[in-house]
Amino acid sequence: MNYATITETDMEALRAIVGEENASFSIEERLCYAYDATNRDYMPDGVLFPATAAEISEVFKLANARPFPVIARGAGSGFTGGSVPVDGGVVLSTERMNRIIEIDTENMTALVEPGVVNGDLQTAVEAEGLFYPPDPSSLKFSTIGGNIAECAGGPRAVKYGVTRDYVLGLEVVLPTGEIIQTGVKTMKGVVGYDLTRLIVGSEGTLGVVTRATLKLVALPETVKTMLAVFPSLYAAASSVNDILLSSPLPSTLEIIDGACIRAIRDFSGGKALPEAEALLLIEVDGTDETVLSGTETVRRICVEGGATEVRIAAGKREARELWQARRAISPSLKKIKPDKLNEDVVVPRSNIPALIEGIQDIAKERGVIIASFGHAGDGNIHVNIMIDSSDPDEDKRGQEAVRDVFELTLKLGGTISGEHGVGTAKAPYLGMELSADVIALMRRVKESFDPNGILNPGKIFCSAPIEG
Amino acid sequence: MKKLEEYRDDLERCVKCGTCKTGCPSYTVAQREWASARGRVSLIKAHLDGDVDFSEKYLRQIKECTLCGACSSACPNEVPVPSIIMAARAEQVEAEGLPTGAAFVMKRILDSKRLGPLALKAASKLQGIVFKDAGGMEAMEQSGLVSRFQIPYMPIGCKDRLVPGLAKTFFMDTRLVKNLKKEHGKGARSGVKVAFFAGCAINYLLPRIGEASLKLLNEAGAVVIVPSAQVCCGMPALSLGDTDTAKSLALKNLEAFEAVEADFITTSCATCTRALKDGFMAALTDDPSLTERVLSFSAKVRDITELLANEFNIIPRLKGADSKTVTYHDPCHLGRGEGGIRDEPRELIEKSGHAFREMKHPCGCCGLGGGVSFTNYDLSMEIMRSKAENIKDTGADILATACPGCMIQIKDGLNRFEVKADVKHVVELF
Ligand SMILES: Cc1cc2nc3c(=O)[nH]c(=O)nc-3n(C[C@H](O)[C@H](O)[C@H](O)COP(=O)(O)OP(=O)(O)OC[C@H]3O[C@@H](n4cnc5c(N)ncnc54)[C@H](O)[C@@H]3O)c2cc1C
Repeated sequence: MNYATITETDMEALRAIVGEENASFSIEERLCYAYDATNRDYMPDGVLFPATAAEISEVFKLANARPFPVIARGAGSGFTGGSVPVDGGVVLSTERMNRIIEIDTENMTALVEPGVVNGDLQTAVEAEGLFYPPDPSSLKFSTIGGNIAECAGGPRAVKYGVTRDYVLGLEVVLPTGEIIQTGVKTMKGVVGYDLTRLIVGSEGTLGVVTRATLKLVALPETVKTMLAVFPSLYAAASSVNDILLSSPLPSTLEIIDGACIRAIRDFSGGKALPEAEALLLIEVDGTDETVLSGTETVRRICVEGGATEVRIAAGKREARELWQARRAISPSLKKIKPDKLNEDVVVPRSNIPALIEGIQDIAKERGVIIASFGHAGDGNIHVNIMIDSSDPDEDKRGQEAVRDVFELTLKLGGTISGEHGVGTAKAPYLGMELSADVIALMRRVKESFDPNGILNPGKIFCSAPIEG
Repeated sequence: MKKLEEYRDDLERCVKCGTCKTGCPSYTVAQREWASARGRVSLIKAHLDGDVDFSEKYLRQIKECTLCGACSSACPNEVPVPSIIMAARAEQVEAEGLPTGAAFVMKRILDSKRLGPLALKAASKLQGIVFKDAGGMEAMEQSGLVSRFQIPYMPIGCKDRLVPGLAKTFFMDTRLVKNLKKEHGKGARSGVKVAFFAGCAINYLLPRIGEASLKLLNEAGAVVIVPSAQVCCGMPALSLGDTDTAKSLALKNLEAFEAVEADFITTSCATCTRALKDGFMAALTDDPSLTERVLSFSAKVRDITELLANEFNIIPRLKGADSKTVTYHDPCHLGRGEGGIRDEPRELIEKSGHAFREMKHPCGCCGLGGGVSFTNYDLSMEIMRSKAENIKDTGADILATACPGCMIQIKDGLNRFEVKADVKHVVELF
C-alpha cells in the first residue's frame, strides 16, 4: 500500500481537529510514540491526543482522503507491536480519554473511556464493593482500550475469563468515519451479528473504541495467596490439572520456571519469590469458609504432587509483594539475554505437562535458553526464547525454536497466542494455525471495515507468511 | 561524575515495558509519554545518538523530572533513571553553562566557606521589603511568607506561593549550637559521638528542626558536635547539573567531618541524607584516591530517624489529652527502594505519644524535587494535589515527615488546596 506523506497542510488540518496543543509533530514527541513493549521502534509522522469520538471521526475522514495510516495507542505496553506505526502515519493516543464515566452499582456495569488504566478502574469499582476481574500483569499501566483490542487475559482468567467476557457494548469509530454503538447494556442480547466480540481482540484494525460498557461482578469476600515450591517444572505442571479438578476452582494458578525465578531474584523487588526450580502461585477466593477449605485442598494436592514447601501469604503486604515480583518477570528476562522472542501459546489443560516437556526438548535441540512462566490454570504458557539477535546463528536458532514451539502447540490442540495477539510479531505464522479460507474471510472482514487500509496497517496479516 | 555517555548500557537495559509509568509523578499529571521514565530514556538515547540536540523540548523533558526514583525502584531491569537524568543535565550545563541566576546561587551562596554567608544574613533582615506574612491563614500555626511582587529570575517569588521566611538567626548561629561548641572546648562527655549535618533548609529556613533534633539526641545521651566548617550537601547543584560545585562542596564537607572523628554523622534532611550516603560518592568518583575516604564517611551516615530508632533508646511518651493524630509522608530521598528508611520514622511517631494513621500512597512524591518547583511550579503543585487529598482523607491533625524540603512544599500545597493540617518534622513531635 502506498501512503501519502504528511504535509504541512495535513498538520494544519489535524491541529484544527484536535487543537493546537493536542497535536505534535516534533521529533521529541514522535520518538516517545515509536515503541511498545516489543521494544522495536518505528517513527510516526505525528501524534494526536484526541478527546472525543467526533474528533477521531474527523481524523479518519482526512486520513482516507489522503490516504495515510492511523494507529490507535493506549499505554504502549503491547507485546506484539500492535500500536507501533510500521508504515508511519499518525498515532492516536487515548491518554486524554481517561475518564470513568459511570459506575452503575445497581446493574453492576461501568461505562469508561478507552484510556482508563485497568488498575485505576479496579480500584474505583472495588471501592463500591464491585470487581472487574481481567488483570493482565500490566494492569497498573495498560489501558482498557488496549485490553479490549488485544482481549487481554490475566492470572484470574482461570476462574473469571478474559476481557471478552466483560465487554457488554462499545462505542466505536469506524475507519470510514461513522460512530457506531455495538452490543447492549443488558446481560444478554442477540440482535444481529455480535460486533462487540468481533471488535474485542481485533488489535485496533477494525475501529477505534471510544467508550466501553463493562460487566462487573461482586467483590469476593476473601482472597488467599499461596506459593508452592516444586523440585522440577514437570512436577509443578503435573499438579496443575489436579488442582483445577478440585473444588473450589482457584482464582489464579500461575507457573514460574527456574530461569525466570533466577532472573527476577536478581532484582531487589523480586526477592519475594524463593529460589526454586519451579513455583506455582495460587489464589483461592470466595467466602471465608470456602477459602479455608480451598487452600487446604490445594496444599494437599501440591504436597502429593511433590511440592517441597507450600506457603500461605500471611497478609496483604506479602501477597502484594509476591504479585509485584510475578508481574515484573517478563521485563526482567533481559538479564538472561538481550533479546526475547516472547510467545504466549495455549494448550488444553491436560496437555500442559506435555507442552512443558516438549519445550525443554526444543531448548536443548536448538541450543537456546527458554524461560517459561504463565497462566498455567488456563493452559497459557509464556514461552520466552532468549537470544542475542546480533549473533546471526543464535538468531536463526531462536527463530527455528519459535516455529518448533508453535508446531508443538498446534499438535497438542492449542493456539499460538492466548492473549498478546498477532500484531507484527506473529503475523508470519498466521497460516500455521488458520486455513487459507479463514484468512481470506478475515481479510474480507477487514476490507469491509477499512476499504482504504488506513487503520493500523501491517498487523495480523503479513505479506511474507511462513507456510503451515 | 559519571558522564552521560557512560550510561549507554543502562539505557540499553530499558525494554520499554512501561512499568515505570505507574507512580511517576510527572507522567501522572502530564499524561504524555515524554513525561515518563521510558520516554525520557528514549529521548536521551536519541540525544546520545545525535538525533536530538539541546532543543527546548529536550531540555524541558529532562528538567521536569522530580528525580523521585519511583521509576527506578519499580523497574525490573533497575535502570537508574534519576542518575541518568542528572548526568543529562550535567552534560548540558557543561556544554552551555548555567543560567546566570543559578550560577550566582551555586557559586556565591551554596559554595561559600561555611553555612551562612553574609549576603544571606543581610537578606534575612531585608526580606520584609519583598515578602509579607501570609494573611488569612490563622489555622496555620506558623504562617510563612508570600511575595509582594514577582521577583525576576526567582521563580520562588511566584505570587501566592507560600515560602518560609529566612530565619532571624540561622541554625549555625543559634545559642544552642554556640553553647555546644563551648562545651566541646571544655572536653566532651564520654558516649556515642554524633556529628550533626545541618543542611541549607534547616540552617536558613527552619532552624527549629535542627534544635529539636539536637534536643532529642541530647536526651538520648549522644555527644553532639556540629562542625562549623560544614557547607551545603551539594544536592541542589547535582540536580541542576552543576558538577563542579557539587564536587567542591563534597570535599569541604568531607574535611569538616573527618576532623571531628564522630561515631555517626546524622542529618534531619532526607535530601542531605541521600547526598551524604550516595551523592558524595557520585560527585567524587573521578578521583579514586578519595574513594576510601568517601566510603568510610558514608558508612557513618544515618538519617536522624534511623539513628534515633536503631542506635538509641528514646523513651516513649504517654498518650494524653493533647495527643494528636499524625500521618506520615515518606520523602523520596529517604523511603525508596531496598534499604529505604520507612519503618523507623513510623516507629518514632508511635513513641511520640500521638496516634498514627497511614495515608494512601505515603511514598508518592510531593512534587518539590529535582528542581521542578523552580522549573515548573504549576506542575509541581499539580503533583502535590493528590498528596494534599490523601492527607485530607486521613483527617490527621499533623502531617509529619523527615525532610524540610518536603515540609516547605507540603505546607504550600496544603495552603493552596485548603487542607487544615500542621506540618512538622518527626523530631518536632516530641
Ligand atoms: C510487563 C507486561 C506484562 C503483561 N502481561 C500481560 C498479561 O498478563 N496478559 C495480557 O493479555 N497481556 C499482557 N501484556 C501485554 C499488554 O499489556 C496487553 O496487550 C495490553 O492489553 C495492551 O494495552 P495497552 O493500553 O498498552 O495497548 P497498546 O499497546 O497501546 O495497544 C495494543 C493494541 O490495542 C490497540 N488499541 C489501543 N487502544 C485502542 C482503542 N481505543 N481502540 C482500538 N484499538 C486500540 C492498538 O492499536 C494496538 O493494536 C503485558 C505487557 C507487559 C509489558
